[in-house]
Amino acid sequence: MTTYGPTQDANETPAGNDKLVGLLAKLDEATTLLTNSREFAKPAKLPRVFDTARRVLLQEGGAAAIEARAQALEEAGVFVGSDWETPQYLVPSLTTHSLKSTDTNTVVIEVLSELRLLAVAKGDYLHPLISSEQAHHYLTQVLALNLSLLFGTPSEAERESQGRLAQIPRHLFHHLADRIGYEHIIDRLIDEIWRILQQRPILVEPVKQMITQIAICQANPEIDLGVSGQGADRLVSSLFGPTQACREDPGVEVYRERLVSMDSSALQSEATGFARAMHDTGLVSPYHTVLLRHLLDHSDHLLSEALGLSSTGRDCLLCYHELVHALIRAGVHPTTPQAVYGLTLTLERGILYQPPVAPAMWRQLGLSLSEWSKARLNLAFGDSVSPRARLVEGVLCVLGLPLGVGQGNNPTCQSARALSMWAYNDPDYLLQMVAWAARDDDIIMHFEGMPLSSMASLSGVATELPMDLDPVSLIVVPHLDRIYAEMVRRCIGREGDPHRWVNPEFHGWWSGRGFRINVDVATGQLDELDAFLRHFYASYHPYYNGNQPLIHPQPAGIAVTDSAARFIGWHAITILRVSLDPDDVMRVYFFNPNNDSGQDWGDGIQVSTARHGERFGESSLPFEEFASRLYIFHYDPLERGELAEITQQELDRVIGHIHRSWGANRIPPTNLQASMGPEGA
Amino acid sequence: MKKDPNKGYIALLGWSLNAIEAAENFDRRYVVVAPEWAEEYCQKHDIPYVPWNFERLNDRSMEIAETLQKMGVDVAIPLYEETVEWAGAVNSLLLDSPRIYGQSLLMRDKALMKRRAQLGGIRVGIFEEAHDKEDVVRFLKRVNQTLLKLDGDPNDPIHLKAFDKAGCLGHRVIRTPDEVDTIPEEEFPVLMESHLDGWEFAVEAWIHNGKIAFLNISEYVTLGYSVFVPASPELEKYRPQIVAQIEKLIKAFDIDFGLIHPEYFVTSDNEMYFGEVAYRPPGFKVFELLERVYGFNAYQATMLVFDPKTTEEEVKAFFPKEIVDANGYAGCFGVYPRRRVVSKLEIPEEVEDHPYFESHELNAPAEETVTKRTAFGTHWGLIYFKGEDAHTLRDLLKHQEELDFYV
Repeated sequence: MTTYGPTQDANETPAGNDKLVGLLAKLDEATTLLTNSREFAKPAKLPRVFDTARRVLLQEGGAAAIEARAQALEEAGVFVGSDWETPQYLVPSLTTHSLKSTDTNTVVIEVLSELRLLAVAKGDYLHPLISSEQAHHYLTQVLALNLSLLFGTPSEAERESQGRLAQIPRHLFHHLADRIGYEHIIDRLIDEIWRILQQRPILVEPVKQMITQIAICQANPEIDLGVSGQGADRLVSSLFGPTQACREDPGVEVYRERLVSMDSSALQSEATGFARAMHDTGLVSPYHTVLLRHLLDHSDHLLSEALGLSSTGRDCLLCYHELVHALIRAGVHPTTPQAVYGLTLTLERGILYQPPVAPAMWRQLGLSLSEWSKARLNLAFGDSVSPRARLVEGVLCVLGLPLGVGQGNNPTCQSARALSMWAYNDPDYLLQMVAWAARDDDIIMHFEGMPLSSMASLSGVATELPMDLDPVSLIVVPHLDRIYAEMVRRCIGREGDPHRWVNPEFHGWWSGRGFRINVDVATGQLDELDAFLRHFYASYHPYYNGNQPLIHPQPAGIAVTDSAARFIGWHAITILRVSLDPDDVMRVYFFNPNNDSGQDWGDGIQVSTARHGERFGESSLPFEEFASRLYIFHYDPLERGELAEITQQELDRVIGHIHRSWGANRIPPTNLQASMGPEGA
Repeated sequence: MKKDPNKGYIALLGWSLNAIEAAENFDRRYVVVAPEWAEEYCQKHDIPYVPWNFERLNDRSMEIAETLQKMGVDVAIPLYEETVEWAGAVNSLLLDSPRIYGQSLLMRDKALMKRRAQLGGIRVGIFEEAHDKEDVVRFLKRVNQTLLKLDGDPNDPIHLKAFDKAGCLGHRVIRTPDEVDTIPEEEFPVLMESHLDGWEFAVEAWIHNGKIAFLNISEYVTLGYSVFVPASPELEKYRPQIVAQIEKLIKAFDIDFGLIHPEYFVTSDNEMYFGEVAYRPPGFKVFELLERVYGFNAYQATMLVFDPKTTEEEVKAFFPKEIVDANGYAGCFGVYPRRRVVSKLEIPEEVEDHPYFESHELNAPAEETVTKRTAFGTHWGLIYFKGEDAHTLRDLLKHQEELDFYV
């Protein structure tokens, strides 16, 4: 009854097909049992239908097969008694939660419902409660809301919580997109890509995948994008054809041949084109690397053009001419294009002028990697270039984009924060860490005078080795994570929060030894909120600290809340600077090791990543709003001044934000605010 | 299904949705006798229902029999161990046969049951009742002395079973006197049995007019973990001997009709030892396995043989032919978490991808800490397999014991 478009069926293996046929027979049998059973007996027959449907959905072509059976499944009673029974009331935004649920049945029933609505949208199933247009609209929204499921591979964290189940929503979305059409989701996707790119992450693979999908859609004559997708040109061209000579994406070999016959004005024009694309998007085309390697035999002037350097960067390039050439030879390859951007920004930061950094870079170039490091790098990135080249690319990116470090989907925000902080504040130390970890498989840090070896420490916060990381994090984070966990273990039995001692020892001498927390560790209740906030203002707010800009990045702890302002968990961030934004609002600019910092924390607090004076990778919030999510900060005990004389109104606004969000259940009985009423307890 | 007023009217004692569904789809009139908590559900779904609290034994106990009699019910079928003597009492009135009640009491007491079997010329292992821990230690010692064990030799284990519980509930294996201390006082009195090395299996036999109408052999792969039907050819080889044993049992217990579910051992010298017998549907979803391979509903089969108005012809037409009519082999495995702390359910891929895998009824863990397994029969749910080859299925079921389903 259903005709199929170009779905997954095409690339099905015969063996997989046999398996699908066998499973479908089992599904039909289970569905028949459900259909024929009395209403009271249906609940007992459902698990078998769900479980078999789940296994069908794991197969290639499974989603199409379920779509064809959607009406039969609904009539058998799979949705009876659940919210899905009345599809006209379903809320698209809830699918983002249900599809990531760890509960198998929730995922399966959600997927069954989507496929049912697909059959309705396609007119194959006349549903009594929802029209074809309504179903289509609903599915479009679901697709746009779950783009990461469409284009992303399961994150480590999803794999951890969902296991094989994580494949099912992906199969669903590929099928949905094929059937509904990419044109309905593409504009939404483009906005999303630009938003992420503005944060200049180091790991751009997911973004590249999304752009590639768009490029494929645009190139496919069967997909009619209509007027959508206009904003994608810059994104697609920056990867696949940023300049005249590679506009039609001819392949790197052809491009290399073209370069040979170019005179210097043609090369100049190529160089400028690449540099513009790179600085526009933060993405580097593989062709760019070919040009760069070609230019090694030409003048440094052209090299500087190709990197789009300012006078600072150009000086640095000229001064460290040999090192830069060596870095390009070692780290810039068509499969490591982001090294170009990393190198550019490293030069722009001028950090090579710090005496230990250039020699440390030479060490990096000659570093022999341990077998373990090589294996990890090859496993995560493939072996198209040597692990050493991969690591050079990673080092350049971390040094150039210290705020582009992300924790992946791993509970290692502390380690990611430390790496980023060192790259930002102490690049020489970072390079030392990389050398120890990559060459020796061991990092030794000291905690209160006691050496802690990462090799000797048993386990870290992460239960599995994280894989979804940039090359430097991939090598260093497992060590840092173990040392961090060991430091916390050494604090067992001490009264109060272990971060008081761990943060300064772990991050560096510049983390203030003074420590304030506004939660009582024993009870989890809010503690001395007024004094905490006044102290924070006095330490960080330029109006209350003698107009002293923040000198060193400082570790801080925030209570993360979701868009409904519900408490999610404690999170490690770095406070980078506090200053007025272009609209004269005092903002805290901070680094969030979370991969996408543009988060909605509820109660009107929307973390900004652009257009409020942020530098690449920075997140920002107005000072008050930031203070309302802060629970730990450090300060220099010798510089401790008077508690800030902030107005009661301002204090009340901050406390209001706290009480309406993560502090709602943490208000100590004695500290009841009159306005909260008895339910506040 | 349309009910036939010329056929029997059946009372189901105990609450089982599968039994109710089978009754709905069968041509006999029926009524469910269950505790009061079932009332709302029965009203909502139009299920004929009489409330009764089976735990309350007092002088009003005749009431339920009389109520059913007034309704015109012909026979009562016990669905659980706990309702066996209730069915005996009810049926002795409905069928005007006091002997039936006595028979049901025999079925409820494992020690009495063994003595009766012994009197009927059926081989049983060494057994004895224990009233306290000292009895257990004494029995363990005596059994091992009989086996000519010296001090320090590893003991042969003994088995402890509750007198009146179904299947594996309360079943413990004791090897050393130390282990005796782990038995809670409230479990006494118990039945103790010597250990028999051999092949354990169970039988489901539907009996009509004192004759076997259908006899299935359920092969245990590992007691308390896995079972499959029909039995492998190696065990089915013993079918004539097993039929003879069941006929002895029918005679010894004077069984005229119904479903019996005995357990036996075949020892290495081809001798059959009687374990115990129950007068109710077996646990471990053997009914569902039978339906998978033979296609008949075993609850309906039970109603059929219990119904005094059923004719020989009807019985003959209802049951398939043993073994030859079976469409493959079906088995199930009871999952028990192997780790002490678990956080989620994860069916191993090799299980899910096996062509024999059918379905499972496991749920996500409710608690993270797994209570220590002290007795058999406390699995967290079953997984079902079906396939063409008995040996593949048997090895597959055995292999499940080495897998983690909860991690």
